[in-house]
Amino acid sequence: MAKTWSELYSQLAMGAKEKKEFIAGSFELTSRCNLRCKMCYVSHSAYDKHAKDKELTTAQWIRLAEEARDTGLLFLTLTGGEVFLREDFKTLYEKFMNLGFLINIYTNGTLITPDIVNWLAAMPPSIVSVTLYGASRETYQKVTGLAGGYDKTISAIDNLLAKGIPTEIKTTVIQGNKKDFDQLYDFVQQRNKALGVVNYVSPSREGSSDPCGNRLSPDELLQYEIHMTKRDQEAAKKTGRKSISKIEDAVSEVNPIKNNFENHMKGSNFAFECMSGSCAGWVTWDGRLIPCGILDKPESNPLEIGFRRAWEDIKQKCLLIPVCKVCRECQYKSLCEKCPARLYRETGHYDQPAPYLCELAQKRIEYNKKSTL
Amino acid sequence: MKIKEGFMLREVAGQWLVVPLGERVVEFSGIMTLSESGAVLWRKMEQDVSSEEMIATILAEYNVDEETAKTDVLEFIDKLREKSLIEE
Repeated sequence: MAKTWSELYSQLAMGAKEKKEFIAGSFELTSRCNLRCKMCYVSHSAYDKHAKDKELTTAQWIRLAEEARDTGLLFLTLTGGEVFLREDFKTLYEKFMNLGFLINIYTNGTLITPDIVNWLAAMPPSIVSVTLYGASRETYQKVTGLAGGYDKTISAIDNLLAKGIPTEIKTTVIQGNKKDFDQLYDFVQQRNKALGVVNYVSPSREGSSDPCGNRLSPDELLQYEIHMTKRDQEAAKKTGRKSISKIEDAVSEVNPIKNNFENHMKGSNFAFECMSGSCAGWVTWDGRLIPCGILDKPESNPLEIGFRRAWEDIKQKCLLIPVCKVCRECQYKSLCEKCPARLYRETGHYDQPAPYLCELAQKRIEYNKKSTL
Repeated sequence: MKIKEGFMLREVAGQWLVVPLGERVVEFSGIMTLSESGAVLWRKMEQDVSSEEMIATILAEYNVDEETAKTDVLEFIDKLREKSLIEE
């Protein structure tokens, strides 16, 4: 029977996590991007020659893809940086599409010309996931440094949809675009689509951006979440369907968090509640295998020792990552989005509570208590 | 009869899957899951094969009677035909 991406993803992911078999992976084809988003966790300039020179070659990516497929990889996310900056993107994509993967492309959309849409339509991926950083040229200037990116992204989304290519629209909320929510919501509603909202912005993994200086405070984020929930509930009354899916951060869609695995994880000493380290991994632009996009310690080197051995190596290393005991006992944990990767980025330790996440969880719980009184 | 070119049979996390390759995704989006015996039959059909040979394969590999094997094989072929996966 034919199944949708999400149905099959959950079913297979559960099985793979139990068996600790590699099933989902992200290839970060480049760290370079034509936008200069203030909240990016891996940000190098499009013209950064040093970063470009260190990127894996076409042949290296193909070799890794073949080895990853033989290790079990089915769900492959192509991400960056901006993947369409790679001059060999078409070659890589066409090769990957013939290796037996289900592919999701993450992109900012600005480089997706009508020609690229036509090319993709002849061999469409499972999803093109476009991030829309604001609802105007002004916001784009503030958030990404490129005002014209707005027009280009809108036109890419509409061209993709017109060709029937499965397309997902997301946004990442920061100071510079928090006022645009209603317009973004209207935009996706008019197109009968849902809006994926990345609410958690991680401290940077590498590059020169300033995520923490631009993300919302816990209080602002709570207000944003309240507003978007109300807006969605109002719309659902009229249309009968919800149009927001909350995505905790830019990598959590690849390695979905909690819900599916929470019960399975109770009492476990394995720190990851998502798929990372047990059935999902991430290959960086310079060829390191890491648990997920924001967690680059531990790492392994698939180019030196082969993908299968690197996968076994990273799995073993992830087993040694300690669980945060304070978080495990915390009264606010039900609405906390902590994970070893976020704790590490926030505090430098896998097992220390992160004040930003603690405050957010506490405010959410307190709001819920008040609103149910 | 034979399975069309452009599909890959894979076993992922204990589940048999058929994934369309390259441009085949246009006519066959999503993926197909198969039982273990379905995977045996699919593998057989990657080469030119008759329904009699497929029934013989099932009889050789599974403890079933001929009537059941025949029904199952013909049903499997019908499903693949419905999805236009067979080169006649």
